[in-house]
Amino acid sequence: MSKRRVVVTGIGLITPVGNTVAESWANIKSGVSGAAPIDFFDVSAFATQFSASVKGFNIEDYISKKDARKMDTFVHFGVAAGIQAIRDSGLDTGKNPERIGVAIGSGIGGLPNIEAQHSAYLNNGPRRVSPFFVPSTIINMIAGNLSIHYGFKGPNICITTACTTGTHNIGDAARIIEYGDADVMVAGGAEMATCPLGLAGFGAARALSTRNDDPAAASRPWDADRDGFVLGDGAGVLVLEEYEHAKARGATIYCEVAGYGMSGDAYHMTQPPADGDGAMRCMQSALRNAGINPEQVDYINAHGTSTQAGDVAETMAVKRCFGDHAGSVAVSSTKSMTGHLLGAAGGVEAAFCALAIRDQVAPPTINLENPGEGCDLDYVPNEARDMKIDVALSNSFGFGGTNGTIVLRRHS
Amino acid sequence: MQSPIVITGMGIVSPLGCTVDAVWQRLTEGRSGIVRQDRFEDVDFPVQIAGLVPSRGTDPVAGFDPDAVADRKERRKLDLFSLYALAAAEEALSQAGWKPQDEAQQRATATIVATGIGGLPTITASHSTLLERGYKRISPFTAPAFLANMAAGQLSIRYGFKGPLGCPVTACAAGIQAIGDGMRMIRSGEAEVALVGGTEACIDSLALASFHAMKALSTRNDAPQAASRPFDRERDGFVMGEGAGLLVIETLEHATARGATPLAVLSGYGTSADAYHITSGAADGAGGAASIRAALRMAAVPPEEIDYVNAHATSTPVGDKAEITSLRNVFGDALAGIPVSSTKSATGHLLGAAGGVESIFTAMAVREACLPPTLNLHSADEGMEDLDLVPLHARPVPVQHALCNGLGFGGVNASVVISRV
Repeated sequence: MSKRRVVVTGIGLITPVGNTVAESWANIKSGVSGAAPIDFFDVSAFATQFSASVKGFNIEDYISKKDARKMDTFVHFGVAAGIQAIRDSGLDTGKNPERIGVAIGSGIGGLPNIEAQHSAYLNNGPRRVSPFFVPSTIINMIAGNLSIHYGFKGPNICITTACTTGTHNIGDAARIIEYGDADVMVAGGAEMATCPLGLAGFGAARALSTRNDDPAAASRPWDADRDGFVLGDGAGVLVLEEYEHAKARGATIYCEVAGYGMSGDAYHMTQPPADGDGAMRCMQSALRNAGINPEQVDYINAHGTSTQAGDVAETMAVKRCFGDHAGSVAVSSTKSMTGHLLGAAGGVEAAFCALAIRDQVAPPTINLENPGEGCDLDYVPNEARDMKIDVALSNSFGFGGTNGTIVLRRHS
Repeated sequence: MQSPIVITGMGIVSPLGCTVDAVWQRLTEGRSGIVRQDRFEDVDFPVQIAGLVPSRGTDPVAGFDPDAVADRKERRKLDLFSLYALAAAEEALSQAGWKPQDEAQQRATATIVATGIGGLPTITASHSTLLERGYKRISPFTAPAFLANMAAGQLSIRYGFKGPLGCPVTACAAGIQAIGDGMRMIRSGEAEVALVGGTEACIDSLALASFHAMKALSTRNDAPQAASRPFDRERDGFVMGEGAGLLVIETLEHATARGATPLAVLSGYGTSADAYHITSGAADGAGGAASIRAALRMAAVPPEEIDYVNAHATSTPVGDKAEITSLRNVFGDALAGIPVSSTKSATGHLLGAAGGVESIFTAMAVREACLPPTLNLHSADEGMEDLDLVPLHARPVPVQHALCNGLGFGGVNASVVISRV
């Protein structure tokens, strides 16, 4: 039996550069940064005072105020992106709901509400903790709430692997379809960890840029002057569908999910090995799974977070995986515009890859003025590029040394 | 014909102590691991009981010894849930004889370790530091300690496992989903061996307050050992527990080729969604039934051949009833003849670790031909009186196939079928 094929038929995005797919993608192609000073809590004592947060978002455009009250903001973003993606797909959600599942995670979960409830507990005692605290903050509640909203009764999962979360959820969802356990999966990631403890935790780990005087120039993957990542918020969700199922209902197909790979660095809690070994094995495994040669890859949406070690290690991994072809692949980091959406990054960036294939355009890496040492690939600096894209890769790497790569292929 | 997937190693940290042998002995003797909690002092706190992992001081035979797992310096970077996972993994991997030094074998090993909550104690402690002492006093290890995937990450780093590295976080179904994910990775050829299961350690004031706010916890503070009483008329909520349960799984062919002993067969797995309510199961139990049916289908075991069910049953009034409805939905009238017990009566509810620990108990029931009891079950609730809920005492009886369920907030269900080798 040949393997069941999986295609992308819907996209939903809530990002620092737009609250719809159209707005986000237009800004990404134009090289617009979503970074700005934080004005929703007091950051005066923090080393980093800006983020790439979502602006002007209203959850009541998607669900009732009453339901929204029971969810922390990361759930709002995930549910909204999920609803967008399902609407975009044109799927009849009432048909065979036991064959439709959800796989959406978050790297952090409901940190803002954990802070709020912890403060309520410290100030007013255990009886003042909200009964909605647990279901509003636990990470699987995006998958749970979407399943309840639409009545989807298929597999309901939530992989949480730090900054690889979105990619792992999409990859595992594709595999669930491939293995016949579902026909449709709504998959991706969401994050909203721009709160005092999120900013303090990543700041203390010295992972964040401190370019407070120029937030829009702070996320600069591979640039010599990069000084850490910019915390980003939002969600990216795809509708994945078995190919024959999509064809039979006349769905618009963005592209095919051709392959998926995973690996562990087995090296260090927060740092990648300098030779990019885990990332290389991850890309190799995804290409093998897709049955695609390195030479066939046109575009890589890199993990590229704008940290010193990470950007060089990924460059090394690309060189080792692609050999002589490494110089011919367009490699860009949309995190230069969105910041690092942690558990949502893989979802958002898979969406950008699907759109890049649809429109045959590689999004740029902005703020790349002077490539740093060891950074000498074609990073599509500063301007989007019209080009042939038949095959695109999306990479994600996370704390704990957890890696994921998906391969998207143009549908013909 | 595919080679069956077998368990070749198991490791436990639980309120009944550490190591599978010691915990199994205590479980079948009918001992309870529920105590008055001493993690924080607050005499006015409404919930004073929990299933705490005993220390070496209180339990010299099988208490938890953090020094044996990691030195003091390393422990500063680890939340407790990661520490428990490291201890359980060492036992499981030692039993399986799987600590590969060879690069190819390391690459062929997946690490899929679930949690429901993750490092909440690190989050609350850091939040207190932030409020009281300011930004500059936050530890650089804060984020890497509290991230939910760090138990899996730490295991991969310690043992050099370079294959797929993952962490399902699906509330109280997470541990079983980790086992199911590992099975799929072995079937797809992404891994030859997988270290799977769950870990949890979130017993602090905020976690207890939050589940109490949902009216989910027992407040039987005057009788801790009688507080977790699944299926009993007098049950009043679950008791929060902590610990880890990890298993080493591989194909029988792989195990045999390297001379490892298969302990039990993981013959089926299924998962589904209720699509009903964020915290309550549907009254018709259809979601739970769908996941049980999927697991039986994969195992190719007809319902009447199941000899034992290790129920999710947490001792909440609504949850226990819904699970029984799911079981009736699948097994029909035959359910009255199938023993069903809840080991949470002894351990409390280990949330994301429950599925790992209970899969091990289920495998032990199969291996040892003995059903662990449901403690504190003196009077079965209305609508369950006809069932065999293995009250109070363990029961020696042969088991060919057994079922283990995990059901979580968000309406997520997962089940495994474990069979005799």
